[in-house]
Amino acid sequence: MAKYLIYSIRALVAIGFIAPVYWVLVLATGYHGAAYSLPPVWIPLWHWGPLMYVITHTHWLRYLLNTVFITAATIFLVIITSALAGYALAEIPFMGNSMIFYLILGVMMLPQQALIVPQYVTIYHLHMLNSYTALILPFAANTSGIFLFRQFFKKLPSSYRDIARVEGVRTLTYIRRVALPLARPAVATVTLLTFIASWNQFQWPLIMLTNQKLQPIELALSHYLQTYESNWRVLGSAALLALLPIIIMFIFTQRYIIQAVAGGDSGAKE
Amino acid sequence: MISEVSKNNHSKIVRITSAKLLSWKKDGTGRLKSTILGYGLMLPSLLIFSVFYYGPAVFLGYIAFFHWTIFSNTSTFVGWKNFEILFNQPIFWKALWNTIYYLIVLVPTTTLLALGLAMLLREAPRIRGGGLSRALIFLPHVTPVVATSIIWVWIFNPSFGLANVILHIFHLPALNWLESTRWALPSVMIYTLWHSIGLYTVLFLAGLATIPRSVLEAARVDGAKGFFALRKVIWPLISPITFFVVVLCSINTIQTFSQIYTLTGGPHGGAGGPAFSTTTDSLLIYQTAFMYLHFSLAAAMSLVLFTITLVIIIIQKILADRFVFYR
Repeated sequence: MAKYLIYSIRALVAIGFIAPVYWVLVLATGYHGAAYSLPPVWIPLWHWGPLMYVITHTHWLRYLLNTVFITAATIFLVIITSALAGYALAEIPFMGNSMIFYLILGVMMLPQQALIVPQYVTIYHLHMLNSYTALILPFAANTSGIFLFRQFFKKLPSSYRDIARVEGVRTLTYIRRVALPLARPAVATVTLLTFIASWNQFQWPLIMLTNQKLQPIELALSHYLQTYESNWRVLGSAALLALLPIIIMFIFTQRYIIQAVAGGDSGAKE
Repeated sequence: MISEVSKNNHSKIVRITSAKLLSWKKDGTGRLKSTILGYGLMLPSLLIFSVFYYGPAVFLGYIAFFHWTIFSNTSTFVGWKNFEILFNQPIFWKALWNTIYYLIVLVPTTTLLALGLAMLLREAPRIRGGGLSRALIFLPHVTPVVATSIIWVWIFNPSFGLANVILHIFHLPALNWLESTRWALPSVMIYTLWHSIGLYTVLFLAGLATIPRSVLEAARVDGAKGFFALRKVIWPLISPITFFVVVLCSINTIQTFSQIYTLTGGPHGGAGGPAFSTTTDSLLIYQTAFMYLHFSLAAAMSLVLFTITLVIIIIQKILADRFVFYR
């Protein structure tokens, strides 16, 4: 009996959490003016007209592609920098490596909101405002990525490395051909975490961009919301474009994402 | 004959191998070499961190004590002047109060609710669909803030939104939500709770999973049940993870920007409204720098926020040393 009580409470809570996301779908595919109806509409009508209009007649597809490009480039670079740095921290006894360790950890401690002004000034002086580079490069390395790879490389048997050294394999080749392929779980975790962070980026592009052509979909959505708040079907359809890829990704990888997030803590304590 | 040759070769290889390994481990030049290699591999990350994070952190101190604008390269040292101007602005104190209000309501609420949800989900493997409800509660955390804020703007709409429909079902008076000075910040809190609680729930679940079954069994045999067991047995055992959740939640809460900007920035007036009731420090920094272009003032404000964050972390660390039970 108590088991079924817990079961139903749990189901109710879960439905409550998913409901707002479900309502994006209801509003986007509902009839014109469905947003204003009282009592509210509960079931999507599957009118894909507004979504098709958004994809074919507006710039939303371009904004979506901007987001895709920025996310893909960031993931690619993060994996390279994290693998290299993680390998150095795990395997190479270089002078001052404990100091470097804390320097990397320290980046995580800097409060992002307090840095946004000087970061803008830095980007300004590098002449990088209004460019993809400004949206990608600052996020091309991150602490959690480096630590994930470091932990993974530490677990690799040292005999692999010794054999490679005897055979005269260069370190870079060894990382690329042996260590990185073996570290597939770390690659997957870093990819997922970077995907989420990069896809959901908002404040940074808001500050660094004035050129509309470069803006990611989140930024475009925000501008659109401030101008045409009452156009619910287009807003909902555009929001759907931003939501669908990440939700589909989540459905297939939720176990690994949750594991990565929950395990990230236990890893940090080591 | 043949086997003898191969044996010889084999021992030769072994000898060469160990000689090479030894030379790498003991040699002084090996040490220098590995240092160069180490820094070479670290270089991309270090470069990014120093140019985009540590550099600006140092630069922040410089801008805050100078009168400086981005368009002219002249800057004059003004000492504490920027802070003086700042402290004389009522909006600065208003934003500070909003930030603290937001923090002291949201952090305990989030922590307690996340713990409650984790307790609810704890038996997940034993009941079907346990993993699914965990995933659904976590899902909002991965959704982009603006895309989901849009739907919450609709939910909070006073005349046709879902929030008032729900209040109506429970025979409660309707609220103006984002359009009232009293309820706008709580509305943002509700959104933030919805968006972030999955993260903390999952952290608590990981913490609960580390409690050995035997401890819980022993407590049950000794008659510790329900709330008593939670308070006296489970709570102390998960206090390290609770501390981690509180620190993480405080930091994330102070940093809140996107949802305030989006939820309150509709056509009814600029973000932070109505009447500055949702203007927190991070929003004020953004507006001062990028709408009014007072970079020096914004930098001074950033330095204040930096200090507040640091103080909060230190206070929590001191409290933790007292109350957290490390096994």
